[in-house]
Amino acid sequence: MRARIRTARKAMVVAAVASLGAGLLAGCADDGGNGGSDSSDGDSGGKTTISVGLFGTMGFKEAGLYAEYEKLNPKIKIEQNVVERNENYYPALLNHLTTNSGLLDVQAVEVANIAEVTATQADKLEDMSKAPGVDKSKWLPWKWQQATTKDGKTIGLGTDVGPMAICYRTDLFKQAGLPSDPAEVGKLWAGDWAKLVEVGEQYKAKAPKGTFFMDSPGGLIQAILGSEKEKFYDSSGEVIYKTNPAVKAAFNLTADAAKKGLVQSQTQFQPSWNSTIANNKFAAIACPPWMLGTIKGNSKPDAAGKWAVAVAPKGGNWGGTFLTVPKSGKNVKEAQKFVTWLTAPEQQAKLFKVQASFPSAPSTYTMPEVTGATNEMTGDQKIGPIFAEAAKAAPVQVIGPKDQIIMQGLTDNGVILATKGKSAKDAWESAIKTIDNKLDQ
Amino acid sequence: MATRNDTAALPVKGGAAPGRPPEDAAAEKERRRRDRLSRRWQRDIRWSPYAFVSPFFLLFIAFGLFPLIYTGWASLHQVELTAPTDMNWVGLRNYTRIFDDDFFWNAAKNTLTIGIISTVPQLLMAMGIAHILNYKLRASTFFRVAMLAPYATSIAAASLVFVLLFGRDYGMINWALDAVGINPVDWQNDKWPSQIAVSSIIIWRWTGYNALIYLAAMQAIPHDLYESAALDGANRWQQFIHVTLPALRPTILFTCVVSTIGASQVFGEPLLFDANKGTSGGAEHQFQTLGLYLYEQGWVAQHLGRASAIAWTMFLILIVIGIVNYVISRRLRASS
Amino acid sequence: MTTTVTPPETKPVEKTKRPRLPKSARAGGQLHGGPIAYAILIVFTLVSLFPLVWTAIAASRDNQRLAQTPPPFWFGSGLFDKLEIAWKDANLGEAFFNTTIVAGTSALTIVFMSTIAGFAFAKLRFRGRGALMLIVIGTMMVPPQLSVIPLYMMVAKLDWTDQLQAVILPSLVSAFGVFFMRQYLIQALPDEIIEAARVDGASSWRVVWHVVFPAARPAMAVLGMLTFVQTWNDFMWPFLVLTQMGNPTVQVAVAGLGRGYTPDQSLIMAGALLGTLPLLLVFAIFGKQIVGGIMQGAVKG
Repeated sequence: MRARIRTARKAMVVAAVASLGAGLLAGCADDGGNGGSDSSDGDSGGKTTISVGLFGTMGFKEAGLYAEYEKLNPKIKIEQNVVERNENYYPALLNHLTTNSGLLDVQAVEVANIAEVTATQADKLEDMSKAPGVDKSKWLPWKWQQATTKDGKTIGLGTDVGPMAICYRTDLFKQAGLPSDPAEVGKLWAGDWAKLVEVGEQYKAKAPKGTFFMDSPGGLIQAILGSEKEKFYDSSGEVIYKTNPAVKAAFNLTADAAKKGLVQSQTQFQPSWNSTIANNKFAAIACPPWMLGTIKGNSKPDAAGKWAVAVAPKGGNWGGTFLTVPKSGKNVKEAQKFVTWLTAPEQQAKLFKVQASFPSAPSTYTMPEVTGATNEMTGDQKIGPIFAEAAKAAPVQVIGPKDQIIMQGLTDNGVILATKGKSAKDAWESAIKTIDNKLDQ
Repeated sequence: MATRNDTAALPVKGGAAPGRPPEDAAAEKERRRRDRLSRRWQRDIRWSPYAFVSPFFLLFIAFGLFPLIYTGWASLHQVELTAPTDMNWVGLRNYTRIFDDDFFWNAAKNTLTIGIISTVPQLLMAMGIAHILNYKLRASTFFRVAMLAPYATSIAAASLVFVLLFGRDYGMINWALDAVGINPVDWQNDKWPSQIAVSSIIIWRWTGYNALIYLAAMQAIPHDLYESAALDGANRWQQFIHVTLPALRPTILFTCVVSTIGASQVFGEPLLFDANKGTSGGAEHQFQTLGLYLYEQGWVAQHLGRASAIAWTMFLILIVIGIVNYVISRRLRASS
Repeated sequence: MTTTVTPPETKPVEKTKRPRLPKSARAGGQLHGGPIAYAILIVFTLVSLFPLVWTAIAASRDNQRLAQTPPPFWFGSGLFDKLEIAWKDANLGEAFFNTTIVAGTSALTIVFMSTIAGFAFAKLRFRGRGALMLIVIGTMMVPPQLSVIPLYMMVAKLDWTDQLQAVILPSLVSAFGVFFMRQYLIQALPDEIIEAARVDGASSWRVVWHVVFPAARPAMAVLGMLTFVQTWNDFMWPFLVLTQMGNPTVQVAVAGLGRGYTPDQSLIMAGALLGTLPLLLVFAIFGKQIVGGIMQGAVKG
């Protein structure tokens, strides 16, 4: 009995020690050879592997673009590392950039972060304006400008943009006695965000029970500010959000709408906000093309075709992405070629067809992929031209490194409070206190 | 390590050295053997403790020390995440500004209240559960495994579940409250409900964890202690009070220390409770803890210097708490 | 090996020495749980398992259904499809292998190191013991959220990105384990046994092997479980040093699941579920080890 126990114990310990050693060995020896992308020359079986780091919604692979490129270039293999949330992706990317290590051949950067990357990490990234085959004039001028440093280096090529329109429920609008035709609806608020809020009051007067005019205060203020030429920074790079009358006006207008009960007391993209889509709780929402994807993802099937897209009071942009090529990547030349191809108008148009990522190349706006585009949620309405107009009307907005922090402060620590009974002034105070604390180094 | 130890064994060696007549060769050999053993014994007694603790310290020096030095150094500088080696000396400014930092003190208060609401019931429940698990039970392995399920559930999944549970308009808890006629509670936005919700996530996640720690310690209590207590007429409750608790004192101390440290650093649960609003811990920072504030300063606002100073201040606060605790317990012991 | 100090066979002797007690009077580990004990455990188990079960329910439903009130309480039909998609999309087979290496190596090493260090701190006398122990506890007090930044600088210098040792080695610094084992052994390991072993001429190493390890088994099992889970589920650090193409751990691999305009919650949940299931298996193995009583006979000796 005792002997058996002892042998068993000995065997267990031996096994433990052995697996420990094996684990360490395996851990040290297995440096990604089978993954391919990180082996020293990125070469596996005679093929060059281009590694692509993406977040969220980009969908190149799903649109078949990798397969197409691999077919065109039989010596190339594309592999991607996708992270669902940019909140995870971006800090890791920053760490990789600052240490110049762990970077993939291609790295995506969201528009909310591009100003910071452009301002602080440009030396780690290739100047894409010098890459062969890149033609600045193919992009919307403001899109190109967003990834360009003060000394004229362009560190990322634009993929999609988020030209803003207003999506609304035709059925709810009708019930509230408002017009439902997109052209007429657009006229109701053309040129002035305050008119949109007025329409909201009309809606509220006869609103179907339990519904709000708009989805959230955050969505509204984001839309208004997206159409301003200057919001948080001036062209010299100074932070002006506190003194910029446009910001204050947008804040007050949103807080006012919140006070009047025109917007839901919700924060966008939270599960409870998702639920309000599923349960048809609001009639209108500030709506870049990708928002239709969000709506679709959360709607019950019977909501299909009940939405329509109208022109927003002013053209603006919300969202969009850039592709950068880090200098320390393993296949810089090939990566540049690939990015140039991937962001070319033809590919952007193909992507839009599958993915609703609106192209940043204006030459696509006359292509059938855009002009003829429809969406399941909006029935047979041709939505392409509305977004194309918005994209062209969007101002060359001054963006700054801390835009995201300021915007988040204004929405999540600011206007949302107005929906909970705080005065606009108190909500503003609360927002700027949070923002200033985050900005203060 | 080998040579220096000989000094420790010198006296023994000296005592055995004088020459002996050759006919005692066998005895001499035996003596030498014993000397050698004795020397080894001395060396063993003296140095093995260091050998036993050295792996931890070597690894700590290799992987733990540099981050500590870096954050300590960074706390005296203005440093940004966008250039973590680019430091601007600011002296103690990052520390002194904490005194006027409303967000820090708000977070400190929240940390304290959430810490109390979560830690106390958690440890008491853990003790109770461990006591029950210590009985002879059918399917005891199953219950033990189930205890740790919350700790094993991926945080992303758990947070999604809890957000759905605590949702104001469509959450299951409000739905249930509504069914019994209670008004819905805004779990995320009102101060106390949000703190209670965050605490309940913490309790859910860590109770089984602590229960297993207690259980392991209970397994080491000799049965005869219970038997003699039973012979003295102690009932189950008295046995628990007079046998289990005293025997568990080192482990109770351990869980108290670890839970206090853990409570001071809570950050995952409040972060995920409000996943899309990020790190501000609610619109009015109503459940932002120190750990979350530190994370916000470092990773979102990207001020590594300020964040490091907050981290080291938290460390200093814990040290102060530790000293106060020590003094009080000494006083208590002395007076009793 | 011949002069081991394994405790003499005392159990039968003890039994005869001991007066038989009526069952109800016996206590602690020997008592059978009554119905109340079972009731409490079952309630507690349900609460513990609920989010895990709900993860599976959510994985079987689509977003639209999840957004409705009342929420679904039972499984939909999509579970296995989603699991399959998650498995393929995240390439979980390789991730499981990597994570098993990482978590297994960490758990075994930490348990081993913590036990010997905890033993030294609990039972051996040496100069600097108190101070060193304070340092151990002190290292737990510095919040870890920032350390990853300088740690990443180190790993970048070493050129360890995408390699598993970059995850394993830093995870081995476990003050928690050392402190836990120290507190456990103070209580569970009577000084007399160590002295008895010493008198028999056992070296420190032999004491560890034949006295400490058997006495520490329940605590080693618990520490092993806790460490394994922690390493298995760790996200922030592995995410910084590994990519899905190199040597992803499970959490890194599933971080890309569900991407889309609206994150596909059910796919995310399917990934989370797959990532958790192997842990339950590991628990079942370790859980059986939490059995005391090995030292029972020796305590008197």
